[in-house]
Amino acid sequence: MNIRPRFFIGAGLIILAIGYLIGNAMRTTSEYYLTVNEVAARQSELGGEALRVAGRVKPGTVNWDPNTLTLKFEIVPIPELDTGTAPIKPVVATEPVSTEPISFSVVAAGEPKPDMFAPGRDVIVEGKLGAGGVITATQVMTSCASKYKPKQAQ
Amino acid sequence: MPELGNLALAIALILAVYSIGANIYGARRNAPDFIVSARHAIWSMCAMITIAVVVLWVALLRSDFSLEYVASYSSTTLPTAYKFTALWAGQQGSLLLWAWLLAIFTSVAAFQNRRRNPDTAPYALAVLAGVAIFFLWMLNFVTRPFDLLAVIPAEGTDLNPLLQNYWMAIHPPSLYTGYVSASVPFAFGAAALITGKLDDGWIRSTRRWAIFSWFFLTLGNIFGARWAYEVLGWGGYWAWDPVENAAFMPWLVMTAYLHSVMIQERKDMLKVWNLSLIGLAFGLTLFGTFITRSGVISSVHSFTQSGLGPYFLSFLIAVTLAYTGLLIFRSKQLRSPAEFESYLSREAAFLFNNLILVGITFAVFWGTIFPVLSEAVRGVKITVGPPFFNRVNAPLALGLVFLTGIGPLIAWRRTTPDNLVRSFAAPVAIGVATGILGAVAGLRQWYVLTAFSLGAFVIGTVLVEFRRGMNARRHMMNEPRAKALVNLVAKNNRRYGGYVIHVGVIVAFIGIVGSSFFRTEVKKSVHAGDSFTIGSYTLRFLGFSEVDTPHLASATARIEVLGRDGREITVMTPAKLFYVRAQQPATLVAIRSTPVSDLYVVLAGIDDSGKTATLEVFLTPLVFWLWAGGVLMALGTVIVMWPNVRERAAIATVLSRSSSDPNELADLVGPGGH
Repeated sequence: MNIRPRFFIGAGLIILAIGYLIGNAMRTTSEYYLTVNEVAARQSELGGEALRVAGRVKPGTVNWDPNTLTLKFEIVPIPELDTGTAPIKPVVATEPVSTEPISFSVVAAGEPKPDMFAPGRDVIVEGKLGAGGVITATQVMTSCASKYKPKQAQ
Repeated sequence: MPELGNLALAIALILAVYSIGANIYGARRNAPDFIVSARHAIWSMCAMITIAVVVLWVALLRSDFSLEYVASYSSTTLPTAYKFTALWAGQQGSLLLWAWLLAIFTSVAAFQNRRRNPDTAPYALAVLAGVAIFFLWMLNFVTRPFDLLAVIPAEGTDLNPLLQNYWMAIHPPSLYTGYVSASVPFAFGAAALITGKLDDGWIRSTRRWAIFSWFFLTLGNIFGARWAYEVLGWGGYWAWDPVENAAFMPWLVMTAYLHSVMIQERKDMLKVWNLSLIGLAFGLTLFGTFITRSGVISSVHSFTQSGLGPYFLSFLIAVTLAYTGLLIFRSKQLRSPAEFESYLSREAAFLFNNLILVGITFAVFWGTIFPVLSEAVRGVKITVGPPFFNRVNAPLALGLVFLTGIGPLIAWRRTTPDNLVRSFAAPVAIGVATGILGAVAGLRQWYVLTAFSLGAFVIGTVLVEFRRGMNARRHMMNEPRAKALVNLVAKNNRRYGGYVIHVGVIVAFIGIVGSSFFRTEVKKSVHAGDSFTIGSYTLRFLGFSEVDTPHLASATARIEVLGRDGREITVMTPAKLFYVRAQQPATLVAIRSTPVSDLYVVLAGIDDSGKTATLEVFLTPLVFWLWAGGVLMALGTVIVMWPNVRERAAIATVLSRSSSDPNELADLVGPGGH
């Protein structure tokens, strides 16, 4: 009796099932991860899409209402992310950075203000881009002030 | 002092290089003197790295801010215990810790193999020394722990507040121990490929190392989850962050490996698979360090980027190519004559368990690197968050749980229907009854019902096994129940320890399912005297108290917790901390944990007037059982690793006759099912 093919069928089915699960989950859960500059460049096509945006909290724009748990602020590009100091360049610069500083308003309602949130800090905003360039955030994550220094490799 | 550290690291690097040469020359020319000399070089290398570690520790304890590392990760006001743990707070220190652990394990392996494995051990030790060279190279030339500052600051910038926590004191060393000890089985696997001694000697010689590694990977993951739960203050313990995934993937692969090697030992099958798994496990430990340290994949835990990425990536690629090349070179000799015979066999159950574990690993890997891939291919970064990982892994976890119940009870080769009914009737009944009870109690989610039923089924199979073994002893040895049970476990520790681990996994799984599906959350801004309810609890905010020290300022909210009957249960005191040196705020979560549910209170904010508190309260059912499951897993692993009296006696008798490999003998007397 030929046993081996039978096992390939079983193993194959499992592998197919795993592949299907991954493919299916990719379709339904993936979201764009962009920098502020990239959002600006692609603004027209991103309306209503799930986004993750890495940006810096613009000083002087933070407005926190503890009673309604509403946090409003503006994000501006993180220069380090766009100048390509990273070992693998994280951004395809689609346009030269304009002299008019790019910024987006963020409104996060129903969530407490994160601990490390402060003007000038880098944050990741998860949410959707609405009309007028306002990002309605479901989550605002602050980056750990990790002290791993970028030591320039020779 | 710092010069001493630099010197020690330089000598260690030279010794590592020398030991490789001496080991390979000694093995090829059959020159035992060189093998002995290589061994001494490895031990000296370990001594040198130990000196470097001690130098750094002394500098941290003495707050010697002339060292850049000390100035960056410590301060005069940092509690002494955390000065000690600051050794692994930063990059240079983490790599030093890695190199140190590697040197220690290599030394132990060298000692164990003084007389054992004369053909393969020199090559295995050479591989380990090769890995050590990479880390020592980094420490000597790329990211040096003993660099001095031109201007000595009066005060250090302090340890990151998030790391000033006892879980963070033990989580990294546990994880690193797990990571690094996986290199020993890897090195022996590589040595088997190099020398062509492709029997299962390498597996048997390193079985304890593999279990040891798995034990610490388990602890590392659980400690990390516990840290996230207590410190990060979002009410959860796992977010599928790249750094977490990096710790999880080697665990998955080692779990697969520990199961699949049993097939090779019994049936001489899956040789290529096992060698691939251990290679994959080792590669993933490097990959983990790579993504944690490189910043290639943005993580909440490591936002900044260091220049280490290319080094790690190059090393990872070199190792992968060399190892894959060896596997292809030996592929003809790795063919196995044996075949799977039946789906209803333990081999089959283990094979499918392996496929699922590797499948989960792949899914986690895919989700972790997808942003980088999508950017490289399509020019836009696309991420997948926790929903992706949950959606893929939740069904796979059910499959694994099912196999956890089947695997141990089903026979090798093939099982008769009779046997199946006898083994599984009671557990299936327990599982079905649990499902019905759950449905009657009002559970409606199919996933939860399935998970609980399957969990009960697995625990049922373990109970049946324990009962069967205990009764056998009672009848054959005439022992009373309790004694029979203790002896059963003591005399068959590998098998019954394994069952305890399985129960731990299931218990943790139930905790994960319960806490994921039934968490409720209330967010509120309150004035003193305000109260609100969550679940059956009523919480009343009483007010703040404030404490200032030079190291730390804190504002603590006092919250009275009332039960359903209105009586006070406890007062909880979540706090907002401010670390003075680091100029960083942090949150101190208050948790009231019971087996039924955790009440988790976060003081999320204090308004400027100092009167209003923003509270975030989570009621998370069953999360207690995640930690309990972790304790059971650890306990089970200790039982498995416990030196077996019978095993040792058998080894002693056989050793007196010949000089065979003790591990091989251990296997002969180990029960593990037949």
